[in-house]
Amino acid sequence: MILHFMQGTANDQVQAVRDRLEGEGIRTLLSTETARPIVAVIDKVAETLMAELKSDPRIESFHACRGDKRMVERAFREKPMVVKVGKVEIGPGKCVVMAGPCSVEGREIMMDAARLAKDAGAHVLRGGAYKPRTSPYSFQGFGVEGLDQLKSAGEHFNMPVVTEIMDASHLPAFVDHDIDMLQIGARNMQNFTMLKAIASAGIPILLKRALSGTVDEWLYSAEYLSAFGCPQVVLCERGIRTYEPATRNTLDLTVLPLLREWTHLPIIVDPAHAVGVARYIRPLAAASIAAGADGLIVESHPRPEEARSDKDQALLPNELAAIIADARVQAAVNGRQFHT
Amino acid sequence: MQPALRHQLAHLDRTLLALMNERARLLASVASDDPGRFAMVDDLLRRQDGPFCAETLAKVFAAIDEGCFDEAARRKGASR
Repeated sequence: MILHFMQGTANDQVQAVRDRLEGEGIRTLLSTETARPIVAVIDKVAETLMAELKSDPRIESFHACRGDKRMVERAFREKPMVVKVGKVEIGPGKCVVMAGPCSVEGREIMMDAARLAKDAGAHVLRGGAYKPRTSPYSFQGFGVEGLDQLKSAGEHFNMPVVTEIMDASHLPAFVDHDIDMLQIGARNMQNFTMLKAIASAGIPILLKRALSGTVDEWLYSAEYLSAFGCPQVVLCERGIRTYEPATRNTLDLTVLPLLREWTHLPIIVDPAHAVGVARYIRPLAAASIAAGADGLIVESHPRPEEARSDKDQALLPNELAAIIADARVQAAVNGRQFHT
Repeated sequence: MQPALRHQLAHLDRTLLALMNERARLLASVASDDPGRFAMVDDLLRRQDGPFCAETLAKVFAAIDEGCFDEAARRKGASR
């Protein structure tokens, strides 16, 4: 249950209600929302105490939660969350594009890729230093050296960077390189030990949906991150595994309007991993923004045919520019703004 | 005017307005006499095959540009 207090309720009055609940052994959480005090109640409240709360004039409304989720629930904030990655804001009315190579492949080509992504209009630079590959014989990424190459390129072109972390023991290297956003990949969405450890760093997190993850499971993973120190979470739909083998995965855009009702977290879409073919990405990217996504993450490469991973879905610079131009139009006609 | 037609026209008008506002935001960083702007519009009009004549559309774009640059200047002034 989530309690919305009357606007202007003083902090000590809110604390008095929390103290009353906690005195009964009921845990509470205070939202960082500034428009009004909002408190989530974690444990079950007995009927008599519930009656007391309902007659409390300081509390304006009561909101039910889905299962045990609290901090990611839509009602935990008055307005949807805006997640700040470097100087780039992601959230309602703040559409962004994250682009760059699938893998960091070397200092020179990373700089080329960053320049092309920036020129095409991307806002955040992506690139994998640690790569989760299906085959153990595929390129596994440059590791720490890759982090350094990615961050250097991002700094050179004034772009914050996002990259995947696959093991909590790597976290110090990500912190040392001042990585702006950590990506939790689809395969680790429910690695709860890792989620807890990584959340403690407080760095904004891009949480990809697992290949077979339900919306509920996805949001529970976001709840883990929020509860363990990182409420700055951006959800990423990247296609789910279905019976259809003709495309790499199935892009589930149906979740976009649903998530708008269920959570206050920003949602971006990765159409490339869903469809797996570069020439099919453009219509899916436009559809994602039209359906309400707060942004896109795609793979771009100066020479896709030479990419060391996912080359079939890597966009040429002109293809990336076209996708971003489309996305800007879709955002505008749907009443949202794009970062310039 | 039929209700459906009125609704569709109103939606198109809102969409055009939203796009012009976005256009003004983008043009905020471009000088009003940037030669690149004229070349872009010329190229667009050469390619257009719709019912409007190029001269009419050129006037429309000139008026939109003027409005966008005025809006961009107003925003710059407001942010100072």
